Amino acid sequence: MEKILRVDMSTLKAKVEDAPEGIKNMGGRWLTDHIVCDEVDPLCNPLGPNNKVVFAPGIVTGTSAPSSGRLSVGGKSPLTGGIKEANAGTPFSQKLARLGYKAVVVEGQPKEKKFWLLKIDKDGAELHPADEWAGKGLHEVFPLLFNKFGKNVGISAIGVAGERLMSNAGVCFNDIDNRPSRYAGRGGLGAVLGSKGLKFIVADDKGAEGVEIADKDAFKKGTKKLTEALETHDITKPGGALNTYGTAVLVNIMNEAGGYPTRNFSEGRFEGAAATSGEAIRDICNERGGVGKMGHPCHPGCIIQCSNVYPRPDGTEHVSCIEYESDWAFGANCGIDDLDAIAELIWLSNDYGLDTIEAGGTIAVAMEGGLAEFGDGPKAIELMKEIGEGTPLGHVLGSGAATTGRIFGVVRVPGVKGQNMPAYEPRAVKGIGMVYATSTMGADHTAGYTIAPEILGVGGEADPLDADKAALARGFQEATAFIDSTGYCLFIAFAVLDIPEGLEGTVESCNGVLGTSWTTDDIARIGREVLDKELEFNRAAGFTKAHDRLPEFMKYEKLPPHNTVFDVSDEELDKVHGG
Amino acid sequence: MAWKIVIVMIEIHLYGKLRRFTDSLDPKRESILLVPADEGDTIRDIMERIGVPMAELGSNIFLNGEYSHPSRPVKDGDRLGIFPDDMQLLYKWHFKKEG
Repeated sequence: MEKILRVDMSTLKAKVEDAPEGIKNMGGRWLTDHIVCDEVDPLCNPLGPNNKVVFAPGIVTGTSAPSSGRLSVGGKSPLTGGIKEANAGTPFSQKLARLGYKAVVVEGQPKEKKFWLLKIDKDGAELHPADEWAGKGLHEVFPLLFNKFGKNVGISAIGVAGERLMSNAGVCFNDIDNRPSRYAGRGGLGAVLGSKGLKFIVADDKGAEGVEIADKDAFKKGTKKLTEALETHDITKPGGALNTYGTAVLVNIMNEAGGYPTRNFSEGRFEGAAATSGEAIRDICNERGGVGKMGHPCHPGCIIQCSNVYPRPDGTEHVSCIEYESDWAFGANCGIDDLDAIAELIWLSNDYGLDTIEAGGTIAVAMEGGLAEFGDGPKAIELMKEIGEGTPLGHVLGSGAATTGRIFGVVRVPGVKGQNMPAYEPRAVKGIGMVYATSTMGADHTAGYTIAPEILGVGGEADPLDADKAALARGFQEATAFIDSTGYCLFIAFAVLDIPEGLEGTVESCNGVLGTSWTTDDIARIGREVLDKELEFNRAAGFTKAHDRLPEFMKYEKLPPHNTVFDVSDEELDKVHGG
Repeated sequence: MAWKIVIVMIEIHLYGKLRRFTDSLDPKRESILLVPADEGDTIRDIMERIGVPMAELGSNIFLNGEYSHPSRPVKDGDRLGIFPDDMQLLYKWHFKKEG
């Protein structure tokens, strides 16, 4: 990948540039951060002409590396007001990489309110009018586009939510079967694209060169080690936890642990958990038959294959897929125990172009605010449809949980930096609470996901309940930032933690593509660099320590069944980033 | 010397392939065993008594919602949550085990 594509929406011209020397080793989140920090004024209005959206495949994306079909989308978030990187698994990422692009940078703003489609192929890139597909659901539009451009292209899109500049608008990508279902969801980057009039990007890699491998030997050795780790580990292997039950395997686990946020974070256990668990989804797929299945990959080359296709009672397709977070957001968090209602709510999110985590959180806050009873699936669906119709209430709901909470006078808004919390309750799981509070992204579960303390050299069997929680939270965030830059799915972490050769292989495969000589020690270094950039941007955007806090109610409201509050001190939180 | 025998009742929630040790095999519902135990019994003792092979367990063992070692003792009214070895996620790396 040697090129950058600059798309100036003010002049409606796309220009191919050589990637500067200084960024040649970067990819994914590292690269989107670098460009955003370099080129975007932290004080700009996110929906104004000076924000940018950067698409960047990962370092090994587009190669034969396993589980590497991911890309990052970055910019200043209209939801949080800070820097944002959102990450998606999609064939689109691999096609963009094979076309030779390290990044696509979307900048400027057209004077006329029209929508455009950017077509990228081996010959270059061009903008085409796209108004004929505006104002429609993505499920209607995607087949039309694949018909027009060919079924082997990759498509990135914003839905009506993005067109209407709603701050919960995500960036949608096609899945392996060309559904509009894979999202760089969080933080409202779909609205930023909407403000620039860029509705679609089509990537056609037919005849493209592919990704250059600098050191084929290192690449082969590295990917072999990683593949072996993924294929043997109980969580990632074929027939393992994720492949069999999907990410929703976590439902029963978090529920048993009393950390499964229920009815807008008012309890930690949900009586409807079993009915909405990964086990239940799998059972229903088996029972109803038809197209229902588990073990569905989000991109070609994934070994883990953790998604699903959820069927209606008659066996026809309802939605793909029901992930843990979406299942929770529209399920337990809304008090809804009906998988068919949850499936519909996810389908609507995908159709309108919304982040499901925030959308579910918004419905829950709306329920708390009296717009519906907790557990009322049909009413929740009605509220979602307001978003699709663009009514004034729809605009409120489409702007996320914090905005909705403010308008309806709800105190229990479980967010940090304006972004709502995902499916882990901080009062039961304090380590994750620390990550929510201190992540540069707002309340974010993927910002500091699982990484073994040993590998980071935090020291022996670090006890997260002891004093060095801060170092652990920091270490998690650094390692995650590194993985987010490689193009590998974050779930490789489960395998590479336990199997050191897997972690070595991850690094070696990057060396193979880039010709670098990184070791596992570079993981923390690169992760640190990524985080420091983000912290700097956020500081300049006006963030202070006061923003690295959980909402007040979590300090005094005891959460059943453990009846605990979040009691990690402010000093402890400030230590995470070295304050 | 008089011996006092104290019987405790434990509520065990079993998941995945371990549901077969209960009457409720439906994965969409809870599979619960109410089991008497002796005071001082550990989680491992109880598994052995009800015939659940430790080899089929993963590290996701919860006692009253706390991630626990199998050597941890139980008391009356406790809730045990036991996941099989193909349902390991998250807790193994984040949290120390009680007991």
